[in-house]
Amino acid sequence: MNVRIDPSQEASALDLHEPVNVSRRRFLTGTAVGALVLGFGLPLGSTRVQAAAAATAERGTQVPAFLEIRPDNRVRLLCPFMEGGQGTFTAMAQIVGEELDADPATFLVEAAPPGEAYVVMDNGMRITGGSMSVRMSYPVMRRLGALARAMLLQAGAEKLGVPVGELTTEPGKVVHAASGRSLAYGELAERAMDLPVPAPDTVQLRDPSQFRWIGKPVKRVDAYDKSTGKALYSIDLKVEGMLHAAVQHAPRLGMTVGNVRNEDQVKAMKGVHSVHRLPGAVAVVAERWWHAKRAVEAIQVDWQEPTVDSKVRPMPADFSSDDWLKRLAEEKGPARDDENEGNVASILSDAKSRVDATYHNQYLNHGQLEPPSALARFNPDGSLEVWLPNQAPDMFRADIAKRTGLDPSRITLHSPLLGGFFGRHFLYDSASPYPQAIELSKAVGRPVKLIWSREEEFLRDVLRPVAAVNFRAALDNDGWPLAIEAISATEGPTEAIAGKQGEKLDPTALEGLSGKSYAIPNKRIAQIYVKGPAMLGYWRSVGNSLNDFFYESFLDELADKGGKDPFELRLHLLRDNKRLTTLLQAVGELSGGWKRGPFTAEDGTKRARGVAMASPFGTQTAVIAEVSIENGQVKVHDIWQAIDPGSIVNPAIVEAQVNGAVALGLSQTLVEESVWVDGKPRARNYDLYPILPPARMARVHVRVVESGEKMGGIGEPPLPAVAPAVANAVATLTGQRVRSLPMSRHTFT
Amino acid sequence: MNNSRFARTAGWLAVPCLVAAGLLAWYVTREPASPFENHHIAVADIDPALVARGEYVARLSDCVACHSVPGGAPFAGGLEMATPLGAIHATNITPDTETGIGHYSLADFDRAVRHGVAPDSRRLYPAMPYPSYAKLSDDDVRALYAFFMKGVAPVKQANIQSEIPWPLNLRWPIALWSGVFVEAEPYVARPSQDEMWNRGAYLVQGAGHCGSCHTPRGLAFNEKALDESGAPFLAGALLDGWYAPSLRDDHNTGLGRWSETEIVQFLKTGRNRHAVVYGSMTEAFNNSTQFMTDDDLTAIAHYLKSLPGDPQRDGASWQYQKVSAAERLDTPGAHTYVTRCASCHGLDGKGQPEWMPPLAGATSALAKESASAINITLNGSQRIVAAGVPDAYRMPAFREQLSDQHIAEVLTFMRSAWGNQGSAVDAQAVGKLREHTDPASSSPTILHMR
Amino acid sequence: MELRINQKTYQVDADADTPLLWVIRDDLGMTGTKYGCGLAQCGACSVLVDGNVVRSCVTPVAGVVGREVTTIEAIEADEVGKRVVSTWVDLQVAQCGYCQSGQVMAATALLKQNPKPSDAQIEAAMVNLCRCGTYNAIHAAMHELADKGDA
Repeated sequence: MNVRIDPSQEASALDLHEPVNVSRRRFLTGTAVGALVLGFGLPLGSTRVQAAAAATAERGTQVPAFLEIRPDNRVRLLCPFMEGGQGTFTAMAQIVGEELDADPATFLVEAAPPGEAYVVMDNGMRITGGSMSVRMSYPVMRRLGALARAMLLQAGAEKLGVPVGELTTEPGKVVHAASGRSLAYGELAERAMDLPVPAPDTVQLRDPSQFRWIGKPVKRVDAYDKSTGKALYSIDLKVEGMLHAAVQHAPRLGMTVGNVRNEDQVKAMKGVHSVHRLPGAVAVVAERWWHAKRAVEAIQVDWQEPTVDSKVRPMPADFSSDDWLKRLAEEKGPARDDENEGNVASILSDAKSRVDATYHNQYLNHGQLEPPSALARFNPDGSLEVWLPNQAPDMFRADIAKRTGLDPSRITLHSPLLGGFFGRHFLYDSASPYPQAIELSKAVGRPVKLIWSREEEFLRDVLRPVAAVNFRAALDNDGWPLAIEAISATEGPTEAIAGKQGEKLDPTALEGLSGKSYAIPNKRIAQIYVKGPAMLGYWRSVGNSLNDFFYESFLDELADKGGKDPFELRLHLLRDNKRLTTLLQAVGELSGGWKRGPFTAEDGTKRARGVAMASPFGTQTAVIAEVSIENGQVKVHDIWQAIDPGSIVNPAIVEAQVNGAVALGLSQTLVEESVWVDGKPRARNYDLYPILPPARMARVHVRVVESGEKMGGIGEPPLPAVAPAVANAVATLTGQRVRSLPMSRHTFT
Repeated sequence: MNNSRFARTAGWLAVPCLVAAGLLAWYVTREPASPFENHHIAVADIDPALVARGEYVARLSDCVACHSVPGGAPFAGGLEMATPLGAIHATNITPDTETGIGHYSLADFDRAVRHGVAPDSRRLYPAMPYPSYAKLSDDDVRALYAFFMKGVAPVKQANIQSEIPWPLNLRWPIALWSGVFVEAEPYVARPSQDEMWNRGAYLVQGAGHCGSCHTPRGLAFNEKALDESGAPFLAGALLDGWYAPSLRDDHNTGLGRWSETEIVQFLKTGRNRHAVVYGSMTEAFNNSTQFMTDDDLTAIAHYLKSLPGDPQRDGASWQYQKVSAAERLDTPGAHTYVTRCASCHGLDGKGQPEWMPPLAGATSALAKESASAINITLNGSQRIVAAGVPDAYRMPAFREQLSDQHIAEVLTFMRSAWGNQGSAVDAQAVGKLREHTDPASSSPTILHMR
Repeated sequence: MELRINQKTYQVDADADTPLLWVIRDDLGMTGTKYGCGLAQCGACSVLVDGNVVRSCVTPVAGVVGREVTTIEAIEADEVGKRVVSTWVDLQVAQCGYCQSGQVMAATALLKQNPKPSDAQIEAAMVNLCRCGTYNAIHAAMHELADKGDA
């Protein structure tokens, strides 16, 4: 049944009870007074959404769970994916709009609640990550739009009293050409959404040659709100009666709260509501977050060492990241093969021309600009509502159910916009504020919004993994690579989250070493699993972010040893791979023709270029970087990137994503590192953990190559080839081969 | 010279040598006299009021800053102090009889505190500021003893051996050093001065041991003056990568522009309109000065303001010159200043008193020595914890963001803008400090006395 | 204390050392100004005080009494701010958007003082961090604004 809400009433109701997305309110103020709004502003817990979400049917077919069309033809789409800058809301508006025949500019997109109905990806998952959203749901989301269009056509047929076959659509309306009559979607939506959803195989999708929005640089649906401060993130939300909370975590994970020395003093501080002990943390609840934050910093806790039955990975008091990296490099323990072709061992031992090298990378933080927060509210009926940043709503709801003992149906999960994520908002047991927010809300009997200060975030963020890779390679008599072996001593993020190695290798540990397309007849890629003391997580482009740096840098070492140009070497090793040959040539062309250098630029600086490639998340990339040395440090002037994701939905967003991934890639290459000393991160803010500042950004030139192959990802793939391209350029320019990152640890001349 | 003559001469010489050696041996191992020689105090009988007074004297003397480490038991020792010869560690001064000072008599305690001599006649390194503590009154020493015996929990924790190698680790020469440089008499009030001045002098010279950091040291690492009779007293000194500025009435680099009330405010709250505590002073503030009574702080301010400045050393009087850093973008360092510093310290260099200190007219911008400016820029500030509450604002560390050259340039700019007249900073000095220092922790460090 | 924010007067009960950021966000409920670091490192909290851009996370509220504060909420009421926003939208600068309030404020402050800033002036003024890497888009937007600026 449809819910009819008077907009003026709704507005005040929203004020009191619901965090408001301002764009919705702007819409409301523009709505004619007294107009009936079809299904507008359904709270996520509403009957229809929940019923739909609970139902089981073929993926992405419960149209009313996704779409509401308002009298003014605005289309509200509940999106299965989270928007955190990668543009998925816009892409989904384009995809659904294309088949629905509604201009994406008329869409209001919000994140859908948990529920089976929103599982739309081929792999049966509902996460926003792995650069999967568009590529894994593309046909299903198109069909969803088409099904909704069919329902509107059917409703139009009923209303106009004509056979449905006589009707067509134009953007936003059903048209009866014969009579010259038309009905706006907004006029039909109420009737349409009450119709049964047609059988999925009865709708026909548009011929791609007729696309109006897919494949076009459609404007982002969120650009205005995000340029005017109107976009709301978890950290911005407010509900009636809400208190604010701040925490102080134990200096090392696993430590527990002992004696609290000055509880009375802290309780007496201005604005303080209450002081709380939590697992591995203390918290202050206050009327204002600033009061909570100052008070919680004042708490003097005698922290107790972790117990043997610690539920989280205890951080030892002597942990040093530098020492750990040394240890990994020396690790000899048994290795498990991921790839093993040809006869690597004997060729290596017989080789006349050998190259051996050890590489390692660094721990990284996510550093998303929005500090984590969570808002929890227990309703009078005992149900729980939580607003929190997340990349996987169903997993989070299940986890909350487990923690609280509540049935999942009693938990409403809201997923606001993400102020950046890069892998930060997956389910990490020890790295999210929501369990604390829920506990605090329960304890004080009022809604509580908990914000982690930037310092607490740096203390508990999960880290991008580290690896030390021992490479050995043999060249043939002509200087071409004959065999390559890479043994990585590492723990993958999936292994870290599981706390153990699985039966199969963690693909996120070795991707980027494994899966290379170069025709090297003998190769072995293997992992020595080394469980570390630091909690790890996924970071944009995951294993590729480190492994492509290792492999593609080492490949240049082979080129040097064999007397080959690195660009030519890659072309040679890809000679039977048309797609990648095309891509490599494309980046060469984009850069004005491959030119390795060193050469003198117009401004008199000495420069060189490096090339690298990567194959992450179903997409192929090739990067050329141009560098010079300025005051002993690397300056990256230009990044040329050719990217082949098969096909794309929005070239403007693709270009923006390439820019963003290049920025993060440069950041990890040039400046970023999470250093741990005595079991503690040295940096607790951006002062000691620099992220790429504007002054160190490179110009970015993008060429999208649409090979028509299976659709690949966009958000992460442009990152991994950046570091090796820069490192290869630096080696050409300076003769210094960089085998570890970041480059700020090295001095160049 | 034949052998026998040589032997005879040598024999003659041997006598005074032996006598000298004997005297030396006696001198360097002698136990200095203590007025408490036959004074037995039974710990059980110690009056709680005396313990409380002793606790206050311990605050005045800032014992905890060295004898405790964060997370460690109070006064169980452990703070590492780097010396050119190797690291030494502050000792366990809890009343544990085995590893601490539980077996000390009051006289033993007195000899350690005021004379730097442990019960086995071992000489303490003058990292322990006994040249200052020598001025403590008998009453204060007795109270301090009462506190350490009864107010502090005994902790069994063995002392950490010093890293200083033989023969440099021999302690007896310290006795000679003490003989030359320590005036082993309690403070004697100057009758010409009023009570407040004398109280201030007692606190500054004695328990407060302000001179340990603020008085320049001689070749033997001795403070060049221990009271106002010497011009170098509290005239500013470089120590441990920080420049402790003049506490005399110097217009630029001292307290010339500070009123007595502002001095009190600074020591009580950690901040005033001129400055915010940083560097080593943060520890002194966090653990000591904020706990002093208003009367004592007023006395300190009163005394300090009586110490004349030295215009010759101090240079031409600073006067504010109005300029916006944004208008000087062509000057090296100005760009860095605008982008990194101006948010807090202002384009006009005036800061946001009392929260972010002005750089216009700041000691760190006027003193010849640039160590403090470099150090705080590289490493940021430690948290100031006033009345139990950590500061709302702290100085970030820029060591990971700015090169030696950038830091040198921005500090050179800062030390020459707004009428500032500090010397230029060179990149090598930054590099050296970078190597020898670590960034400040962003977590508050709170040392407990009980 | 009495504050002037976006041409309105507010009575606020806050300690003198409370950062302006938290007064704006929590006391006054305007959440367009963002908390990113609290240490003047990122610039997400940038607002205008008497037309100059300041980082509100390191601005004790007592210091803005008697001064005119402008936040992102009122940015379109300003002619220059309006142009900045429209250029930001045209050039599709934002990704996650979290830093963009601050970026828009910094851009507006610069262009109000200098309608045709040079490259160096843009570089000196546009230093806020963006983790999504929108720097090139910001750069393009600034150049477009500067090119169209009144000389």
